Amino acid sequence: MIDEQMAVFIGSGLRLAVPIIFAATGEMLSERAGVLNLSLDGMMLMSAFTAALASWATGSPLIGVAAGVLVATAVAGAQAVLSVTLRANQLVVGIGFNILALGSTTFLYREIFGPLSRDPIPGFAQLNLPWLAHIPVIGSALANQTGLAYVSILMVVVTWLILKYTSFGLAVRAVGEDPRAADKAGISVARTRYLGVLYAGILAGLGGAFMSVADSNTFTENMTKGAGYLAITAVIFGGWNPWYTLAACLLFGFATALQFLVPALQLDVPVALLLLLPYLLALVAIAGFVGKSRQPSALTIPFERGG
Amino acid sequence: MVMKNPKLARVAQGARLEFVPLQVLVPVVATLIALGIGLLIIAATGASVLEAIEAFWDGMAGSDFNIGASINRAISLALVGLGFIFASRANLTNVGGEGQIAMGGMFATAAALHGAGGLPLGLAFIVPLAVGTVAGAVWGGLAGFLKAARGTNEVISTLLLSFIALPLVYWSVESFHLLRKPISDVSSLPESAEIPDTTKLPLLFPDNGSPLHIGLLIAAIAVVVVWLVLKHSTLGLRLRAVGLNTTASRRAGMRTSFYVILAMTVSGGLGGLGGAIMILGQQFYLTSDFSSGYGFDGLVVGLLSRGSAVGVVIGALLFGFLRSGSINMEISAHVPSAVVLICQGLIVIVIAGSAILTNRKVTR
Repeated sequence: MIDEQMAVFIGSGLRLAVPIIFAATGEMLSERAGVLNLSLDGMMLMSAFTAALASWATGSPLIGVAAGVLVATAVAGAQAVLSVTLRANQLVVGIGFNILALGSTTFLYREIFGPLSRDPIPGFAQLNLPWLAHIPVIGSALANQTGLAYVSILMVVVTWLILKYTSFGLAVRAVGEDPRAADKAGISVARTRYLGVLYAGILAGLGGAFMSVADSNTFTENMTKGAGYLAITAVIFGGWNPWYTLAACLLFGFATALQFLVPALQLDVPVALLLLLPYLLALVAIAGFVGKSRQPSALTIPFERGG
Repeated sequence: MVMKNPKLARVAQGARLEFVPLQVLVPVVATLIALGIGLLIIAATGASVLEAIEAFWDGMAGSDFNIGASINRAISLALVGLGFIFASRANLTNVGGEGQIAMGGMFATAAALHGAGGLPLGLAFIVPLAVGTVAGAVWGGLAGFLKAARGTNEVISTLLLSFIALPLVYWSVESFHLLRKPISDVSSLPESAEIPDTTKLPLLFPDNGSPLHIGLLIAAIAVVVVWLVLKHSTLGLRLRAVGLNTTASRRAGMRTSFYVILAMTVSGGLGGLGGAIMILGQQFYLTSDFSSGYGFDGLVVGLLSRGSAVGVVIGALLFGFLRSGSINMEISAHVPSAVVLICQGLIVIVIAGSAILTNRKVTR
């Protein structure tokens, strides 16, 4: 009985972590280049809605994911124009996009699906990989995931490789730490930052699409519920390192999953306290464990040539 | 492109209308663009634009009651907006208005239900107002403390504190040990009992049915005080100095941590007062989502004002009336009120994006 519930808990913890892993991994690269996208939550929400809509319209969850990623990348493009070219306050722009995303997805959802829609949305099936399922306790939790969940881990590896072993990764780190020096060395700060933000958009798009098409097969208003903010916190908590960021995302995923485990175990803990636990954890994490020194020196500071 | 920007800014400044500074022009134009897009969206849904506008107008100002309700909304938004500009004077961005409203409303309800009702001389509502203000101040001050002590980015911490505050309110109205009203034979919705009549804010015009209450006077006082402090006091100057250059201020002998915490505490306190007024002035009982959207509205009001207390008043009235109108538009003309959210998002983005035109001082 307990074993079974632990397996369910681990499974849902992983599922809840996947969108945050996607978003946080992309955001980490963008922040290493010096751009903070507070609009991450909006990108995810836009993608979740678009993926649900496209999947519902075409019957193909794959097209859904592609459409979601496209829209999230477009939002990222707009964010990049504002934060890199127009040197706007990155935080304020991000909040603007989040309000816009909440308004437009809520509006379109009601217009297209109607306020009480329960139409199932075509989604991905779970893979049920037999060779994973044999691992005790965590086996079934690992095996019963959709393909997109494994892609999230793959993207962590890819992002790590990009940062560590490619010239682009070197450029990203350079413009995030010292854009003036990078500029003098012939690296285009604007181009690198644009690519960084777009990369964050693509991954946030995958994360958002996962929520609607792979995880729940439905869209609900404001369904990200601040997952984008958690992702940004995970990046800070993870010290801008891909693996520590992954660990932070898993921690947040499991903290969120507790709200299902605790009532199932018939423990008398108010659900509300479990709801706030991930955010409390996040606050304690960034306040308690992260010194300011580790953040990319040029984070949120716009760059202007000359002078 | 990057090279051209200062030139672009100069051109734009040369082209500005005389007597209309860009700081005023930009928010006005942004608001007009956003409202225009909002109308286009309404038209695109096939709803009658005229009907929508009529419903909108009716909800905003169709009767004494509606005007009063709109201004009541504006009162809380103005307080949150004042809090925003107070913090931003010290270069701090308080985006946690939602959480500060929530804490203020929750603790004001608790005070009103438990003890304050029997107090004489208007203390019955003054005490809950004060308690709500303190609760918001603590919530904002916490972010200030984290900033001063640990260097925690206040944008992230105030956001997270909002995400923590909202479940706390939910908990308080879910749990019978806390504020949930006792089960009666009628209903047992997760909400608090109604606060005693003595704790409700007195109405300004009790005879004509307008719900306008003395929160208006409180907000007016707050506007004047914040304006005086920010523009005409040493404290305002010091906050500005800390915001512009913390290191230099510290070397000049200022206790910068103190000013960071103070700015966030006052900012949060104003938000908490706004939340308390929402409960004591209009809603009269606590629900889990009573603060929904007010934090972001207040934030947008603060942004629109560009740091001016008068701007906050104008912005708050605009959004108070907008919100009333959008609610009625949804009810009578069946146009989702999310359209107003879209407009707000656009306003924020356009204003933030045009900062390059209005900031003569070029950041590094």
